Amino acid sequence: MSDQTVSPAAVQAEPLKQSTTGVRPISWKYPITYAVLAALAVLFAITLPAGARTHFRLSSGGDFFEIPLVELPSRPAGWILALILVGLAGLAIWQASQRVRTRLWLPLLFGVLFVLAFLVWAGADRGAVIPLVTMLTGALALSVPLIFGAMCGLVGERSGVINIAIEAQLLAGAFLAAVAASVFTSAYMGLVFAPVAGALVGALLVFFSVKYQVNQIIVGVVLNVLIIGLTGFLFSTALTQNPELWNARQQLPRLPIPGLSQIPIIGPVLFNQTILVYLMYLIVGVLNVFLFRSRWGLRTRAVGEHPKAADTVGIKVNRMRVYNVILAGGIAGLGGAFFTIGQGLAFGKEMSAGAGFIALAAMILGRWHPIGALLAALLFGFSTSLGNTLATIGTPVPSEALLMLPYVITIFAVAGFVGRVRPPAANGTPYVK
Amino acid sequence: MKRSFKTSGAIAATAAAALLLSSCGEAPEEESEGTASEEVDYKACLVSDEGGWDDRSFNQSAFEGLEMAIDELGIDSADAQSTAESEYGPNVDTMVQQNCDVVFGVGFLLEEGLREAAEANPETNFALIDSYFNFEEGEELENAKPLVFNTGEAAYLAGYVAAAMSETGVVGTWGGIQIPSVTVFMDGYADGVERYNEDNDGDVELVGWDKEGQTGSFSGDFSDQTQGREVTEQLLSQDADIIMPVAGNAGVGAGPALEAADAQMIWVDSDGYESTDYGDIVLTSVMKEIGAAVYATIEEGTQDGFTSESYVGTLENEGVGLAPFHDFEDEVPSEVAEAIEQLRQEIIDGETVIESENAPS
Repeated sequence: MSDQTVSPAAVQAEPLKQSTTGVRPISWKYPITYAVLAALAVLFAITLPAGARTHFRLSSGGDFFEIPLVELPSRPAGWILALILVGLAGLAIWQASQRVRTRLWLPLLFGVLFVLAFLVWAGADRGAVIPLVTMLTGALALSVPLIFGAMCGLVGERSGVINIAIEAQLLAGAFLAAVAASVFTSAYMGLVFAPVAGALVGALLVFFSVKYQVNQIIVGVVLNVLIIGLTGFLFSTALTQNPELWNARQQLPRLPIPGLSQIPIIGPVLFNQTILVYLMYLIVGVLNVFLFRSRWGLRTRAVGEHPKAADTVGIKVNRMRVYNVILAGGIAGLGGAFFTIGQGLAFGKEMSAGAGFIALAAMILGRWHPIGALLAALLFGFSTSLGNTLATIGTPVPSEALLMLPYVITIFAVAGFVGRVRPPAANGTPYVK
Repeated sequence: MKRSFKTSGAIAATAAAALLLSSCGEAPEEESEGTASEEVDYKACLVSDEGGWDDRSFNQSAFEGLEMAIDELGIDSADAQSTAESEYGPNVDTMVQQNCDVVFGVGFLLEEGLREAAEANPETNFALIDSYFNFEEGEELENAKPLVFNTGEAAYLAGYVAAAMSETGVVGTWGGIQIPSVTVFMDGYADGVERYNEDNDGDVELVGWDKEGQTGSFSGDFSDQTQGREVTEQLLSQDADIIMPVAGNAGVGAGPALEAADAQMIWVDSDGYESTDYGDIVLTSVMKEIGAAVYATIEEGTQDGFTSESYVGTLENEGVGLAPFHDFEDEVPSEVAEAIEQLRQEIIDGETVIESENAPS
């Protein structure tokens, strides 16, 4: 394949760490974080009252076989988790001192166990149960539009067009999905039309920013206002006057995948979803491969990094950008469908509620990489869902503080672990021959 | 290269045409306003919060009150919908510049904009729906009238019904933002559940709101239906089977979740049986008669009777109330219906007082 000539890593948004000569100084950032969190887990365990119990619910209403409530004695469970966490932190410190590269499983396992330790502590001796499956399903549901939006932003920016209008594309997708589903009385028709709406907004974006080279951020902002206004106007006129025709709610059916959906906990969360969510898995996977392993991906990245060089070798820079942004708009439009037909809701004014902007942040947080953006969006969705659970089980934390949780976690994640990010070099610059 | 833009050009033209159409579409509405039968020289104006006039909730109720005044009193009117918090102040100013006699602001969130305008424009009257003005000590304005609703009284009845009708023994509530006009519902609801337990030796539990600690489940705004749905799912997973979302449009998100779980909803502000798509699962609604209060204030104004005295909607003056059970009429046992009627009387007579730090006094 032609991308053998250029190493994919060269075009990735990684700061050039390797260029510094000599032995790298040991990075203590991660080990110290693990140590602090492990200490916190020990603190949780110490403060747990003896004889307290924490209830976990591992199934949701629609499961094939119901797992009864799991009742854990809080104190022993808290201590076991805390000790494993201390062990993992110790391992991380040892690995750092020996300059052994930490594998990905360590932060993942550490994160999961720490959240469990926290839940054991937060749910100890409360009448309420901790609904693990509901919490995780909620996390995924809150992330879906963000993930679609981030993928849209990523394809656009990798090819050099800043897309502030993700919010508009989500909203347009939500709107047209609801209307089409209502008119044809079929949720699947909504799925067909939603990408069209997003792509139309994408087309407007490139029309102004590529053809007329208008500042891309300004076009994006204007498009957001345009779509909010347009959908709001149509909603309060046609959709409100004749809701049976234009805005009758339709829901995509859940399609449990046989076998996979029966895995405890993970199964109902990941594999008892609508086709929209399966499409999302597919899009993230496909983008992850194609962006770095295909001719299209190489050209897209070339156009976004160094359009002049791309042009010299015969890549049609502006055409590439036009196609990519319209395609990306389609992805975001599909994501917008989740707000309406994905959840069985009729269209409501401004129902995307800022998800497009969070998606933009997730893309940057994920360093313009599909997997990174996916994880960032999931982190945001999960922390929102965790906040919801904590509020419901009646923790004495003020509600406002719990609602801040996703933002606080995101800020820490950005400041602590992502640090400096580098956008594609030609991002936001129109290409003129 | 050029060819690929032709299609996008067509799209842009379509969008522009849609915009043009949209601006034309609004015109007749404005014209018809001036044609009401008897002309009264009075102009009433309304500024919405982010919910807009079709939020199926309190903005809509206020707008209906204005429309009723236009039809019946023949007044002039103007209105402004806010789409963001930054628009509240400017929208109020726009209304003042249009020579309105009275400017209504819908919602707690317009308090600041309305108060500042009232201080700067003593000639114009202002009415704030759903909140008091936060005047500084000793400050008093002749031209600022709060219209508030002690929804706790009606929510108390709703809490009692919910507790009586719950099969799982758990009922729930959640709010949009933790502000007094939201939490007053939740306080009343909590007390109603409590009352049911006392009277019937019951053990019905409330999730989503802790009246003592004043903490509970909130979705964070009044528009995010996805989040509304997720908060509802959380309450459902605690076994709640009757849930009251106090979150305007975000509360609509509770609908599909409750439907899937075969649970029921208690709507707020307007009668959810009519104003939402989920009439068949709406057990009852805690109604705030905002429209009537707006109408009454305008009527007073046309007769030069505007005062800064606050209007407090209660069960007694029918400013708040419990909606009919509609589809559940046959399912609510008659002794529950009787108990509700009795409680209503007790509250009106002052025998039962709903204590809430969030209630308007």
